[in-house]
Amino acid sequence: MPDSPLINRLVGALRCLPGVGPKSAQRMALHVLERDREGGRRLGETLVEAVQRIANCERCRDLSEHPLCSRCADRSRDPGQLCVVETPGDVLAIDRGAGYRGYFFVLLGRLSPLDGIGPEHLGLDTLEARLRENEVRELILATGSTVEGQATAHYIAEMAEELDVRVTRIAQGVPLGGELEFVDTPTLAHAFSGRRELG
Amino acid sequence: MSSAHRVDLNPCFVLHQRPWRESSLIVEVFSAHSGRLGLVARGARRPASPLRGLLQPFVPLLVSWLDRAELGTLSGAEPDGPVLPLTGKALAGGLYLNELLMRLTHRHDPHPELLEDYRRAILGLHGGEGMEPVLRVFEKRLLSAIGYGLLLDREGGSDRPLRADRSYRYLPEFGPVEGGEVEAAGVDVSGATLLALAEERLESPEELSEAKRLMRYLLEGLLGPRPLGTRMLFRTQSRR
Repeated sequence: MPDSPLINRLVGALRCLPGVGPKSAQRMALHVLERDREGGRRLGETLVEAVQRIANCERCRDLSEHPLCSRCADRSRDPGQLCVVETPGDVLAIDRGAGYRGYFFVLLGRLSPLDGIGPEHLGLDTLEARLRENEVRELILATGSTVEGQATAHYIAEMAEELDVRVTRIAQGVPLGGELEFVDTPTLAHAFSGRRELG
Repeated sequence: MSSAHRVDLNPCFVLHQRPWRESSLIVEVFSAHSGRLGLVARGARRPASPLRGLLQPFVPLLVSWLDRAELGTLSGAEPDGPVLPLTGKALAGGLYLNELLMRLTHRHDPHPELLEDYRRAILGLHGGEGMEPVLRVFEKRLLSAIGYGLLLDREGGSDRPLRADRSYRYLPEFGPVEGGEVEAAGVDVSGATLLALAEERLESPEELSEAKRLMRYLLEGLLGPRPLGTRMLFRTQSRR
């Protein structure tokens, strides 16, 4: 441990980042202090500003520094499609690769009854209000394929069906380029039970 | 002296899992060997980990671990027979069973027969049998396994056999009593329902709703003031 309470505090603070243990935190702290004080200052200022100014979009709950995020403000998107995901990271992944041009709704979590995370934590009232606007023709459920992700999808599907909105669920199963032999049994079972007509 | 010992390929189901450190999981399993226990699955959240898909609830598993007083260390897991995915309402039912096991069994308290009851219940939910009878039978067997078995063949404190055409008041930890003064505790229930529950043959809507009320009452006595989280998955269903 360095002989400075402030360095120790910095090391401790850096450990709030994912994947950063005591050793890498110390390496980062020493790097900034020895070699890149300017970078450290920029990091500090940006962090403070980001934490202060970035909140959640009023419409989709994604992270945004404006009340309405840039995706929700983008008028060229298809208002008939709404895709429900668990995290802001999922939005980025789908936007990057899936060729999807509709809007998003971010739950910022998933139903986890055993951990006490219920519908009230996921902004489902906001989602329901959105569906009541009658613009959405298809609600695409892109929650994870964990048990909680599926329970969440089921819960939202029931809500949407009540409002007469068509609900789809992203397909689950064998990864592209995957040899069946090496796919784990539960995944294969899901792929099998979700099989569909060819052509 | 080492307090740790190995358990190899023991039949288990995962009840719940939560992230642990950067890439690991703590899985709560229900095992034949030592009942409910917590296991650290190192690296199970890495994208390439074969454990990721495997350590999910409702997947019959054979699990190996290093047993310790508090958290054990998972050393291997493989599927034990076909996987029967639960979806929709059946999934909510399965999560409810998991929560009951989490709340009402103690760690390291083996109940091998209850594991088989659980397996049958999961099969029943998957097979699309009526969900309510499956849940009631499991609740009954769970209560009996943890020492709160129901008295379903005779009246509490007597040898008088129950009669289908009579109505009773079921008192917790005592059993059904016929007539008499109105008690503060307990649930009214017909002899027919009690006998049907004993034979695990709940069929008519009256039997099902009475049995549900009875079990709910008895379970609430054991669960204490904190409500079951999985009930919210059902509440909306009944409301909608």
